[in-house]
Amino acid sequence: MKTDRELIEEFQRGSDAAFNELVRKYLDLVYHFFQKITPDKMEAEDLAQTVFIKLFKALKKFRFESEFNTYLYRVNINTANTYFKRNKWRNMLHLDQVPDPGYVDTSQDRQWRKEEVWAAVGQLPKKQRLVVMMRISQALPFKDIGNILDMTEGSAKVNYHHGIKRVKSLLGNNK
Amino acid sequence: MNFESKLRKTFSSTSEMLDPEQFINKLTTARYAQALKRSQAISGYLAMVVVLVVGILGYNELDQGAILMEGTYYYSTNIISDQDEDSEYFDDLALYIIEQEEDIWMAFSFLDEIEYDKIVNLMENES
Repeated sequence: MKTDRELIEEFQRGSDAAFNELVRKYLDLVYHFFQKITPDKMEAEDLAQTVFIKLFKALKKFRFESEFNTYLYRVNINTANTYFKRNKWRNMLHLDQVPDPGYVDTSQDRQWRKEEVWAAVGQLPKKQRLVVMMRISQALPFKDIGNILDMTEGSAKVNYHHGIKRVKSLLGNNK
Repeated sequence: MNFESKLRKTFSSTSEMLDPEQFINKLTTARYAQALKRSQAISGYLAMVVVLVVGILGYNELDQGAILMEGTYYYSTNIISDQDEDSEYFDDLALYIIEQEEDIWMAFSFLDEIEYDKIVNLMENES
């Protein structure tokens, strides 16, 4: 089995088959990332497609200064961030909407819907949003988050702490 | 259950898989569609630039100071240029007539007849 580097180098020499091999290899990772961000399967697939289209353009000039994995996470995060920005108003409206009575669970331990959580995350400042997004959806260690987002581990922790506090208050769980 | 675990539980639902081959086909179609769109946009932009350049050149070529007088366009620079040429021609002709004609008054009366008074005024001023 070829390594990422070999596949990228082949792609840079003009082999679309090598790119398709990369798609096969990372499709699940990318698609699952966006499945956690949006409840809409079609939207998740579209976002995954956007990521691979971006990669198709960007990998031609990829200089292996970082691991492909890290780079892919960055593209995922940026795409998700753009998605959040685009849906900011819609997300804010989600928070204000009265939930459908069929979904209301009044117990304190009720499970939130993804939309509720992401609507709250979408209202955070950029850095906090990115860190919280990576931590709660991917369960990545702070060290990796810092590496992906070009910040220190400490900074990632602080951003997460502030972000999660705000999400907690937005979701109405101040306990 | 603490807040973070509760949040994570929200996202712990079973993930579905996509058919990679189908996805690659869709991706390829989307890529071609995007490339086509981009090339169409570039062609459109270039066509617009060409039309603009041709328009500006055409306007500059045709706009020689056209003046609308009584429903007709006159090209001022052409007129000026024609007038200059006519004036030079009449000056030369007048000098030639004055030099060649033995009777200068005959020459003056002829220039007066053709309503050319530049040289006549000059000669009158000198005398």
